[in-house]
Amino acid sequence: MSHQAHTVAVRATGVDMFFGTPENQVVALKQADFEARRGELIMLVGPSGCGKTTLLSVIAGTLTPQAGTVEVFGQRLDGLGQEELTSFRRKNLGFVFQSFNLIPTLSVVENVMVPLLIQGRPYDEAHARAHAIIEKVGLKGREEGRPNALSGGQQQRVAIARALVHEPPLLICDEPTSALDKDTGAHIMELVRDLSRSPERCVVVVTHDHRIFRFADRIAEMEDGRISRVVDDPKLLDTSHL
Amino acid sequence: MYRLALNMLFGDRAKLAMLLCGLAFSALLMAQQSSVFFGIMSWTYTPMVNIRAQVWVSDPMVEQVNDAKPLRDTDLGRVRSVDGVAWAAPLHTSFVQARMQDGNFKLITLVGIDADTFAGAPAVLTQGRIEDLRLPDTVIVDEWGAQLMGRTEIGRDGKPKTTPLKVGDTFEVNDIQARIVGICKVRRAFTGGPFVYTTYDRAKAYTLGARRTLSFMLVEPQKGITPAELCGRIERETGLKAWTSDTVIWSWGERSLARNTFWWFWTNTGIPFSFGTAVLLGLFVGIAISGQTFYSFILENLKYFAAIKAMGAGMGVIARMLFVQAFTAGLIGFGLGAGMAQAIGRAMIEKGMPPFVMFPQILWATFALVLGISFVSAVIGIIKVSRVDAASVFRG
Repeated sequence: MSHQAHTVAVRATGVDMFFGTPENQVVALKQADFEARRGELIMLVGPSGCGKTTLLSVIAGTLTPQAGTVEVFGQRLDGLGQEELTSFRRKNLGFVFQSFNLIPTLSVVENVMVPLLIQGRPYDEAHARAHAIIEKVGLKGREEGRPNALSGGQQQRVAIARALVHEPPLLICDEPTSALDKDTGAHIMELVRDLSRSPERCVVVVTHDHRIFRFADRIAEMEDGRISRVVDDPKLLDTSHL
Repeated sequence: MYRLALNMLFGDRAKLAMLLCGLAFSALLMAQQSSVFFGIMSWTYTPMVNIRAQVWVSDPMVEQVNDAKPLRDTDLGRVRSVDGVAWAAPLHTSFVQARMQDGNFKLITLVGIDADTFAGAPAVLTQGRIEDLRLPDTVIVDEWGAQLMGRTEIGRDGKPKTTPLKVGDTFEVNDIQARIVGICKVRRAFTGGPFVYTTYDRAKAYTLGARRTLSFMLVEPQKGITPAELCGRIERETGLKAWTSDTVIWSWGERSLARNTFWWFWTNTGIPFSFGTAVLLGLFVGIAISGQTFYSFILENLKYFAAIKAMGAGMGVIARMLFVQAFTAGLIGFGLGAGMAQAIGRAMIEKGMPPFVMFPQILWATFALVLGISFVSAVIGIIKVSRVDAASVFRG
């Protein structure tokens, strides 16, 4: 196995994704190629409708592409059945959503426990691990409160704790700062970067928010359903259309 | 995940309250209406309960206990001669008008029992002695009858006040005096008239001119012979119909007069249809309210279920979560509804309105139906969640 194969966390090659009927087809991804490395935080940026979320869904295994191959940490996703994809997500993925998606009727600690319980871990073990990571994200003392009693930034911290509690190799963040103000957004991204900084982990962030580009190791720009270019320095990007 | 599923359910108090209201109301309606129905239906075979005998013998055409077809007195001798009969006593039952002291008329159930053996006499006398029935023109009246047939006067406050009949009071049946020598405690009957006990011979006198007055014969089997076995012998040897006194209406015993009476009323009256409609209404209301509430609970949580799916929960786990939620709500709803039905039943019995019999089978059936409602609600939710695309969590 080559050195490159060891460093690649996510590789999507020639991915096509269409929606709608053959007569009324919407092209979301067209021959899209994407690569993310282990230990890096890569951002997917681009104008609305360019296919960012669709590519993220394909990488996450929640959408199956019509063509192309997707490989995540050496596991080919194309060709897997629904049950295998579900199992793959359970073990390998952590999610941070735009609107947090914290269950309002559960306490903070219970929300964080969800991925562990889905994995079938015992309740007490899940409880202890959730407590530990809540402390790491700076919310000690808020464990038993409801998410609605927290500020937007605090809720996103809970979401990050939930995404990382089961130590997934791939962290998927969908517009993690869009509901937050500038400072809170920056704090959240610092947290994501710090907690996910590991040679065995990869973070893919979809965002419109150019204020957080500086947290990226690389930025992949999308246009018309494909990656148009990848840059190491955010200053090289033209953000006027984002 | 089940603990979290329950916390999700209990976390939304308003939704939970509405869900429980729907299920509890449904359980209450089904259990209460069924209990009143079976209460009323159990009154149809009240004579079997109040007039106790192991074997009843009747005309072959008799279908139920309230429809006596008179026998010849000589039939009594034929039955007594059947091998295995310890004793056989005559019984008269009929509905007659009683004329009260104040000129008012009341319909009564006249029961004439054998003066020698007192076979068929009431089990509990609250006043008087059964032996006093051997005195001339005497009767024993049941407690409810004593109240119903009592003297009503306008009190000082302008309100009518009824003074119940007591031992020593009199009334008339077909212009013949009936003097009360005892008050008994018996179960009320579907036909409504109070039970008035007298001797068989006096009952004949009260029913002036009737050619045949023998309604039933009460028979005791000899030791070692079962009632069903004796019934078979009596039928073979006399051509009459013999019944057991078994009042378990759920049994398939063909010889149970109570069971035949119950099912006669079931088949020949509109009572089951009327109450059945109310029970069905309870079921539909339950499905509608609970299903709708649970569905809206699912809708409100849909994006969270989608997130849970995206995080790697299979539909099996989610389905089990929804079943746990639905069945827990069903269990609590059933408990509340059945508890309220019990409380209403107790209040009815305490107020002297006792057509309320809550068989264990009613509770089991209500429990099963409420769980059925929960099951339907859960399945509706599962279908909804199964159609949610896990990728939808990325669409804001």
